[in-house]
Amino acid sequence: MKSFLAALAFAAIAAFCVSSVLDTIQQTSSVAYTTSGARVGDPGNNLIGPN
Amino acid sequence: MARVKFLCDADRCIECNACVTACKNEHEVPWGINRRRVVTINDGKPGERSVSMACMHCTDAPCAAVCPVSCFYTTADGVVLHSKDLCIGCGYCFYACPFGAPQYPKVGNFGSRGKMDKCTYCAGGPEADSTRAEYAKYGANRLAEGKLPICAEMCSTKSLLAGDGAIIAEIYKERVMKRGYGSGMWGWKTAYSDSPTG
Amino acid sequence: MPSSISNLRALCAAIALLFVFANPAVAQLSFKPTAEAVQEDKLLNALKEGDKITGRITIPDAMASSLIQPAGRDWRDFHRSKLPIIGGVAIIGMLALLAIFLLVRGRIRIDHGFSGAKLLRFASFERFTHWLTASCFIVLALSGLNISFGRILILPLFGANAFATMSAYGKYAHDYLAFPFMLGLIIMFLIWIKDNIPGKLDLDWIKQGGGLLSKGQHPPAHRFNAGQKGIFWIVIIGGALMSVSGWFMLFPYIPANVTELQFWTVIHAVIAMLFIAAMLAHIYIGSVGMEGAFDAMGTGEVDLNWAKEHHSLWVEEEQAKGRAPSGSAARPVAAE
Repeated sequence: MKSFLAALAFAAIAAFCVSSVLDTIQQTSSVAYTTSGARVGDPGNNLIGPN
Repeated sequence: MARVKFLCDADRCIECNACVTACKNEHEVPWGINRRRVVTINDGKPGERSVSMACMHCTDAPCAAVCPVSCFYTTADGVVLHSKDLCIGCGYCFYACPFGAPQYPKVGNFGSRGKMDKCTYCAGGPEADSTRAEYAKYGANRLAEGKLPICAEMCSTKSLLAGDGAIIAEIYKERVMKRGYGSGMWGWKTAYSDSPTG
Repeated sequence: MPSSISNLRALCAAIALLFVFANPAVAQLSFKPTAEAVQEDKLLNALKEGDKITGRITIPDAMASSLIQPAGRDWRDFHRSKLPIIGGVAIIGMLALLAIFLLVRGRIRIDHGFSGAKLLRFASFERFTHWLTASCFIVLALSGLNISFGRILILPLFGANAFATMSAYGKYAHDYLAFPFMLGLIIMFLIWIKDNIPGKLDLDWIKQGGGLLSKGQHPPAHRFNAGQKGIFWIVIIGGALMSVSGWFMLFPYIPANVTELQFWTVIHAVIAMLFIAAMLAHIYIGSVGMEGAFDAMGTGEVDLNWAKEHHSLWVEEEQAKGRAPSGSAARPVAAE
């Protein structure tokens, strides 16, 4: 039972850590699809929602 | 009601990208989201052709068939729309879409790419017609105002046609008859061949 | 100098124009807009399976250069017609088999009853690893099945909004728990590989049907019998395939294009169905199906009689090492 609970707790913590690591890999489309030749300001929230 | 479609007469398209620009402006589409794009085939070679492509609003739309949360619906005009309230941003629609129409606010990992956005045929979304809320999620609703999609309306060479599928197909066929050539109704076979009436 | 060139150009143009007016037939021949023009039909017919018509674009999104990829429709058809059949046959078929097995064979009892003496089968770290992988697997399986079949099975019950919210959380769980699952797989592989190398004994075990089919028959086995080795390799190989395909899907379009992603999603889905079916059998035999089996992963200690019946050679090895009580005497075992 102890091992089981420890496993559950570990899985939850690991998942949380992974989620924060994965979030740092995420790029907005306005950044990803911009070449060095373009200066893009704040693309705003229209159609894509906040953040 | 009419079954509306897009048709790009590639023999007239001059790759001016005005359709793209008009779309961007009409709906205030943010940078990086490309509801419409112009693809040039055999670029720089003799016989190159440019095709303006967006969501083709397919018959038996693949995106709608694979969506795990069933967020797509087809309007009475045959326009394929989706609800951003239901969309979970899984990206299945992009795998299924023959035309690369679905767009996502974020690029990188699968988990949190945001709600999918795509061409609405200027028909808004499930929100009440022509409201602020509808505009913020789906852009302008020109169809509700009795207007056709802005991209086709302002096409300077009348290459991009929008409207009743039967009528625009007839216009295209007449053009091909008169001038004696045509590179094809780009995407129609893939988008509409599932329906017996085309 | 520049002016004389432009004069020359103008002259040439005038001559050309004259020529055109004088000979319209030649002018038409010299301008054939369609002679080498690309034709959609030809391009579509020339496409190989999974291929797409691509061109040049002026936006820095490489995926947008694909104009038409008819394979998307095949992918749709896989999801609509093939996957439900594969999943249905594998999962419902397995449940049916297990139900029939339970009805016919009943619960597999310990022939000699509980001895009361216990010996350690799985140390706490082994149990931790098992439950880490198992708990992640269950969430991954349920959220994955929800993505595949939730729309048919659960959406009508929950309603669109509740189902979408649940699926969104399911998607996050699927994403993030994949990592502890993969960690569990790696640890499992490392700690149990030495006991899971197939041997000659396994052939005999399989020939006797593992003793599952007839009462009182117990082919000898070391720590893991052929059936358990099978489960181990199903988990390792299946898990590896799920992980590789999953990595591609976790970072869409970073190494793979849309055609490759279609392939990996199909692999992910098909292997998942088979994997889930196999794990149902594993869960059954480890709980309801066999008396005394759950203790191995529950408390880690199994009854001596259970061990003797199912893992006779392992018990002998443990007894030789002095880690197991000898005989079947009903006396409590000293804690390790």
